[in-house]
Amino acid sequence: MDDVRQSDRELVDAVLANRPGAFARLVRQYQGLCWHVIQRMVRNPEDARELCQDTFLRVHQSLHQYRYESALKSWIGRIAWNIALRHLRRKRIPLVEPGGDEDESNLVEQVGDGFDLEAAWADQQTAQHLHAAIERLSPLQRSVLTLYHLEEMTIPEIARMTGLATGTIKSHLFRARLRLRGELETRLGVAA
Amino acid sequence: MNPTTDDDIPTFTDPAHEREWLAQEHAMRREHLHLDPTTDDAHTQRYRLLTRVLREPQPDGLPTDFAQQLANEVASASANVVDTRFERVLTTSLGAALLLAAIVVSVLYGSNWLSAIGASVPIPPPGASRWLLALSACIGMSWLVGLWQRPRLH
Repeated sequence: MDDVRQSDRELVDAVLANRPGAFARLVRQYQGLCWHVIQRMVRNPEDARELCQDTFLRVHQSLHQYRYESALKSWIGRIAWNIALRHLRRKRIPLVEPGGDEDESNLVEQVGDGFDLEAAWADQQTAQHLHAAIERLSPLQRSVLTLYHLEEMTIPEIARMTGLATGTIKSHLFRARLRLRGELETRLGVAA
Repeated sequence: MNPTTDDDIPTFTDPAHEREWLAQEHAMRREHLHLDPTTDDAHTQRYRLLTRVLREPQPDGLPTDFAQQLANEVASASANVVDTRFERVLTTSLGAALLLAAIVVSVLYGSNWLSAIGASVPIPPPGASRWLLALSACIGMSWLVGLWQRPRLH
């Protein structure tokens, strides 16, 4: 963690000192995170590209205000999150779907027998079915799942980034994974 | 790497939900560690499949030279800021020179202007000064009442 903070500090100092290539390096290092946060929220690739650009321009403008209180990754992620959130509000797209938890609650602790992980993994259609199911989740659940599983951020880190409570993040992760498991079982034709 | 436990994260009030959550986390950890899935039950294996799908890298839709493009944009914007700064200094200097000239001219010819203005203004009829005084008193009172009410609004 300290190594990360030290490399963050060196990178920030280099950008603030206008060293050649420093800002491009910062963008390259965090553009994946930015893309994951924004694309999962807005889904439209063109909008996502524009919002990623806005994010890094904002990062450049406000970098002198960064106080190393959180990792640079979280700080940049928060800017990307806020920019995507504002975009959703402008487009009147809800961050969370109202209701719809009852179906998932029925799945708790109920699972059919017989499942071959490697065979299911080898089946492209199952993977496609799950990816489509992920796309149908609410913007908040899609983002939280991506940050937790793909970016390997902790729940407190995601909470700091999004400004939501840790319990809220946990609840969305839980419900989203439960729903995806339900989708998987529907695909496999397993009685839950 | 995600933590296995965290004291800051509240547990679910429903014990069945908490057990399901722990099962999800257990499957995720086993998948991260690439442990043999044949020893896992169907429940764990399903969550392991979800973990695999969720960890698949998303294709980055940004142009290959995105970072360089942005760096160029920022560099040209910074150059514009330098240009604007020079313009601002120049404008301020010219403004100061104009103000100084206005003061010098006022000192030199101010007395002539005042007498000319005084001669052109019509003399108010007798009694008008009393009305002007009353108007000033009204404006002053309104201002004082406004001041008195301001802290009470919050």
